[in-house]
Amino acid sequence: MTRLRAATRRWPAVAVALAAACAAILVAGLAGRSPSPHRAAGTGLSALPAPRAPAFTPGRPTRLGSTRELTRWAPVRAPVVARGAPDPGAPALATLSTRTPEGTDNAVEVLDRRTDGAGRPWLRVALPLLPNGTTGWVPRGALGGYQTVDTRLVIDLRTLRATLLRRGRVVLRAPVGVGRAGWPTPRGTFLVRNRLTRYRGATYGPVAFGTSARSPRATDWPAGGFVGIHGTDRPDLVPGRISHGCIRLRNADILALDRRMPIGTPVIIR
Amino acid sequence: MTDLTLGALDRDEALTQVVDELCGSTRAQLLRGAAVGGAAMLAALAAPSVAEGRVSDVRILNFALRFERLQAAFYTQGDEIGTVGRMPEPRREWAEVLGAHERAHVRILKRVLGPKAGPRPAFDFGAATETDLAFTRTVVAMEDLTVAFLTGVSPLLRDRAVTAAIFGLLTVEARHAAWGRHLLRRAPTPRPFDDGRTLASVQRAVARTGFIVDRPRTSSRRSPRFTG
Repeated sequence: MTRLRAATRRWPAVAVALAAACAAILVAGLAGRSPSPHRAAGTGLSALPAPRAPAFTPGRPTRLGSTRELTRWAPVRAPVVARGAPDPGAPALATLSTRTPEGTDNAVEVLDRRTDGAGRPWLRVALPLLPNGTTGWVPRGALGGYQTVDTRLVIDLRTLRATLLRRGRVVLRAPVGVGRAGWPTPRGTFLVRNRLTRYRGATYGPVAFGTSARSPRATDWPAGGFVGIHGTDRPDLVPGRISHGCIRLRNADILALDRRMPIGTPVIIR
Repeated sequence: MTDLTLGALDRDEALTQVVDELCGSTRAQLLRGAAVGGAAMLAALAAPSVAEGRVSDVRILNFALRFERLQAAFYTQGDEIGTVGRMPEPRREWAEVLGAHERAHVRILKRVLGPKAGPRPAFDFGAATETDLAFTRTVVAMEDLTVAFLTGVSPLLRDRAVTAAIFGLLTVEARHAAWGRHLLRRAPTPRPFDDGRTLASVQRAVARTGFIVDRPRTSSRRSPRFTG
């Protein structure tokens, strides 16, 4: 009686096992049907081989992640008048040139886009003008392809430190030299426009980055007083308030920055 | 939905030039003036193909990678600048799914080619990613071109396992195109047979879109002209 009860209790498990076995036999039968030369004998299908295994198959498709940390910039392809509104009749603010003072392609940060009444797309860009922070609208066709970066460089004028972030995470910290009294480093958000190396002289160290920031005090400087980020031949002065507005790093730090910071990185000076 | 002309939908004339290259200027001129329907575009793409010499599997895969990179970059840019996000729901899902597929295609082709993979080109899509309509039309044309390309090169592959893999991509690209055509209220399969294009003709067509460009020149050996 006890045995019978035990067997009755086991019955659901036995039933499940039997069902699984039947299913396995059925699946094996179906799977083996096509390639088996015996089952389809006489139909002519027996000679068909199994499908060729592909050399590769793509992995799981993934949708784009957050674009919050991305900055978009574009080269200036043709000299263009930047206007106060996305309209060919809007007041002209300045002409954007295709080159930086060092002869590289000019680059501007793209902040917004809009379509005018005629369906033409326009982009609002940060202009390398005084006062710093000026923006203007240019027709889409004047700029080249969008480039994106996920880095940003923060310069803290109070603590004299540079911090490079990638996707919001700190990847480099370094002490900096900034503008001295009377020659302040301008505050605002700017763009790294070019990278210069192997130039003559040790004053700027081994690598220098040109930015879109302009010194409000050095307007009569050659090329208009743009602020750079560069190395130095006087590392003993870093950190400090020592420059005419440029941001100086020790050479080891500027080389480390060079390895991690792409062109188009926004520079936030605060 | 109002029919547009090819010239109107693509201000940079990139697509028109593709059709020009593939089909000859007469047909392209015809298309510029005519309303563009799915059948017209596919018929234009399906001009008779030219015999192709022997090309290596690596070269074909590398061009496939270049083409997939172009498409993946196009979808990614449309997504990043917000064009895709502003699309009405059925089209937004289509664009997001296709973008994810093309990025997966790039990843696998890069892995398969390993060190033989060519460098990633730089892209300039001009106004083609800026508006919903330009984006959608360009995507459909690119997917059609991809189908024509893969159809054309599949028989040239020497390795049967690679051919099997390319067929797996081809059928998916054809569904991408058909899905887009359906959303544009065009015939998803306007013809009973797809002709292939030669590798060379597709290479020229892609080159003439102007979508692949030189990288911006942002480095120099000139002395800095900063304030110091």
